[in-house]
Amino acid sequence: MPDVRAFAPFFFPLALASAQTEPALDEARFNELFERLAPDTDAPWRRITWRIDLLDARNEAADLKKPLFVWAMDGHPLGCT
Amino acid sequence: MLDRASTFDNDEMIALLNAHFVPVAIDQAYERRQQDNEGELWRAIAGQGPRHDFRRTTQGFYVVTPGGELLLYNNNRDPQKVRRLVRKALAKFRASAAAGETVEAMDRGKIDARYAPEPPTGGLVVRAHGRVLAGYPEPKDEWERIKQSALSRDNLWLTGEEHAALVRGELADSFMRRLARFHLVDGTRGEPPMWRDEEIRALDVKLRDGRITGRVELATKTGDRRYDAALFGFVETDGKRVTRFDLISHGAFRGEGRYTRGAPPGDFPLAVRFTLADGSDTADTIPPQGSRGWLPGYLR
Repeated sequence: MPDVRAFAPFFFPLALASAQTEPALDEARFNELFERLAPDTDAPWRRITWRIDLLDARNEAADLKKPLFVWAMDGHPLGCT
Repeated sequence: MLDRASTFDNDEMIALLNAHFVPVAIDQAYERRQQDNEGELWRAIAGQGPRHDFRRTTQGFYVVTPGGELLLYNNNRDPQKVRRLVRKALAKFRASAAAGETVEAMDRGKIDARYAPEPPTGGLVVRAHGRVLAGYPEPKDEWERIKQSALSRDNLWLTGEEHAALVRGELADSFMRRLARFHLVDGTRGEPPMWRDEEIRALDVKLRDGRITGRVELATKTGDRRYDAALFGFVETDGKRVTRFDLISHGAFRGEGRYTRGAPPGDFPLAVRFTLADGSDTADTIPPQGSRGWLPGYLR
């Protein structure tokens, strides 16, 4: 059985290379990214008064005598799509 | 995201929908499958249009009278065309008997629970937003520009036990694995593929004195899709409830999915931001994408 300690010189550079390529994320970078990924709460589409329950929306439309406008997607239109 | 940044990024369209319609947004993957009154309502609407095979998508824009008559189906992304068609549908409605018709309320009845998931009792809802930070080539057109700058949105649910663990200063393994599998994804161009349990190659995350640090490595067997990211964030509590959960993942992503074509070539920087939902956003009540029809599997 070969002595694995003989291979140690090869393992250390690999570990070091892995650590060096690991992305740095400290508190300053966290703050920067947290701000950069904040949603735009003033985006125009947010001014539309979207309902998300079809049956409730249908009953509201019946009350108000208005037509429904349905935005139907794969994944929710207000989220994952 | 295309519609948010085009069709609905228009003052006239916004005013039109708010004043003269009841606008509703749905993930029709639920409604077309639901075996309850709401599902039947959707199938009755969509069945009047061209997408009436409910084994397939029924996505699009629909204008419907309260009595259920379809006035418009469209799946176009030309904002001017959509506005014109919607105005035309409104005129048709106003000229029809349906405009003055009294329509009785529809009872919800017995709900198909598979498609009506609720957040776990005592748990938490966390907003997840992702963005590709760099790596795209110059966009060829406006649609590409929109996709390249998109911010994805999903919700992450924690169970009551996981919430209690956070209050004690612990990160439950189940919570972190769920965060990794379903939310460290590139959903900026459409519905993303998620990670299998065995594709979590490394997950080393610590919570100490209210600060989260760690790293995660996710990869498919072939390596065609992977994410190698650092995690950093903060947890605060009032002793009974978590009052702050802010987390960023940032690292190199590679690959795309069937519905997220057009990823930057090679490795590109992807960040995902997590923060507590406070109910102020309509989207705060949307179930996690990964829980669709499978809540127990999502929460396990």
